Amino acid sequence: MKSADNIKKFFNKAAIDTNPSMDKAVMNKILMAHEKTKSAAIKPKIRRTIMKRPITKLAVAAAAIAVVVLGLVEFIGTGSTSGVVWAEVAKKVQASRGVIFRSRDVAPDSRDGGPDYTMNYSSNTQLRLDSYKGDQIIKTIYDDFNTKTVILVDHGHKSYVKMTFEQMEQYDLWRDPKSFVQRFLSHEHRELVQKTVEGVLCEGIETTDPAFFGTGHPVDSLMARVWVSVETGYPVQFEYEVVRYSGQIRIADVVDQFQWDVELDESIFEPDIPADYIDISPGE
Amino acid sequence: MVEDRLLIWKFKLGSRDALQRIYEKYKNDLLKLAVALTNDVNTAEDMVQDVFVAFAQSAAKIQMRGNLKKYLVTCVANRIRNRKRDQQRHETSSINDSDYIVSDLQRPEQWAILSEELELLSNAMAQIPYEQREVVTLYMQGRMTFKQIAKIRNASVNTIQGRYRYGLNKLRSILNSEIKK
Repeated sequence: MKSADNIKKFFNKAAIDTNPSMDKAVMNKILMAHEKTKSAAIKPKIRRTIMKRPITKLAVAAAAIAVVVLGLVEFIGTGSTSGVVWAEVAKKVQASRGVIFRSRDVAPDSRDGGPDYTMNYSSNTQLRLDSYKGDQIIKTIYDDFNTKTVILVDHGHKSYVKMTFEQMEQYDLWRDPKSFVQRFLSHEHRELVQKTVEGVLCEGIETTDPAFFGTGHPVDSLMARVWVSVETGYPVQFEYEVVRYSGQIRIADVVDQFQWDVELDESIFEPDIPADYIDISPGE
Repeated sequence: MVEDRLLIWKFKLGSRDALQRIYEKYKNDLLKLAVALTNDVNTAEDMVQDVFVAFAQSAAKIQMRGNLKKYLVTCVANRIRNRKRDQQRHETSSINDSDYIVSDLQRPEQWAILSEELELLSNAMAQIPYEQREVVTLYMQGRMTFKQIAKIRNASVNTIQGRYRYGLNKLRSILNSEIKK
C-alpha cells in the first residue's frame, strides 16, 4: 500500500452497515426531537389572498382532471367489465376544461408540521398547489407542463426555488396529471364493489403495483384507488397509501372535493412572488 | 446537490419524510467517519445520533446554500473534537490518542456493523495523532478540501496539508505492517 490512492481505495472499501431495529429506534429519537421543535419552524406570514379571487376558486379542477382522466382512459382498455361506464367517465373527464380538488395527508403518524391540506388548481398544461396550515397559506407550487418547470414558494421563510422537472428528480412526478394517469393506467388493477363516498354512490378501481409511482420511488407496498360517481360519471375521490423504508415511512393521501369542468383563468397560474422573497434556486 | 436542496427545503417546511431521507442518505457515511475518528463504535454511534438530533431541532436555522453532507461531516467532527477536549479536561492522567480502544463488549443492540476493513482502518487510525487523523479522515471520508478543513480548524492550508502528509505516511506504514502479519 504505497500511494494515497491506495489508502483512498482502502477507505472506500471499509464498509459500514446498520442494524435495522436500532435504525428504527434512532430514527424515532430523531423524529421526536423534530416533533418538539417543528411548530416553531412554521410561521406563515401571508394571508390566503389567492382564495379571495373568484378565479382561484375555479382553478383547482385542472390538475385532478389530467390525473384522473388519463387513468380512466386506461381503464377502458384493460378489461373492465363496466366498460360503458368507464368510457363515459373517460370522455367527461377528458372534456373537462379544468379541475379543482383538495388533497390531504391522512397517515395517522404524519402530522408533522406540514400542511393540513392543499388546494390544487389544474389545467391541462399548468398546475398550482396552495398548501394551508389552518387558514394560512404556507407554500405555493406552480408547475408548467409546457416548459417543464416548477416554482416552489415557501411563504414561511420568504424564499422560493425555480427548477426544471429534471432537477426535481423523482419528487412528486405524479403531480403531472398526464404522467400520473398514464402511469396509473399502465399498471395492473382490479375493480372494486360499489361504495358510497361522501354520500355519492361510486364505483372504484384499485392498483397495488409497487412500481406505480415509478422505479425511482421504491416502496414496500402500495395501494391506490379511484372512486367515480355512478350518477355523474365524474371521479369523487382518489386515495393512495405507500409504505417505505421497512415500514418507517407511511404516506397516505386522500384527494377529494372535486369540482369538474371549471374554467380556470390563466392568471391563477402566474407566479405571485413578493419582492422581498429570496431566490434559492440551484445555481443562484 | 439539487436533491439535497429540495430535502432541506422540505425539511424546513417541517417534512418528516425529508428528514428521514436525509438520515437514510448520510447515516452510514457519518458513522464511518465517526468510527475512523474515535476508534470506538459506541462513541461514534452516540456522536452521530447527537448530530442528527441537533439537526432535527435546527430546521429554522439551517441555511440552504451550503453543502449538506459537508455540513453534517463538520458537525460530527466538531462534536467528537469537543468531546475529546472535555474528556482531557476531566481526566487526571493524560490521555493518549491511542487510548481510544474499540470495545470488545458491544452493546446488546449495536447500531453500526463494521466490516473487517473498517475495523482494521479504525485501529490503524487510532495509532496516529488526532490532528493528523482528523485531517486524513475529513479529506478521505468527508470529501472535504484542504481549504475547507483549514477553515473549520482555523489553521493555514499549509498546516493542514502537512498534517495530511504526516498522517498518511504513518497510516500507510501501519496498514502495510498490518497487512503483512
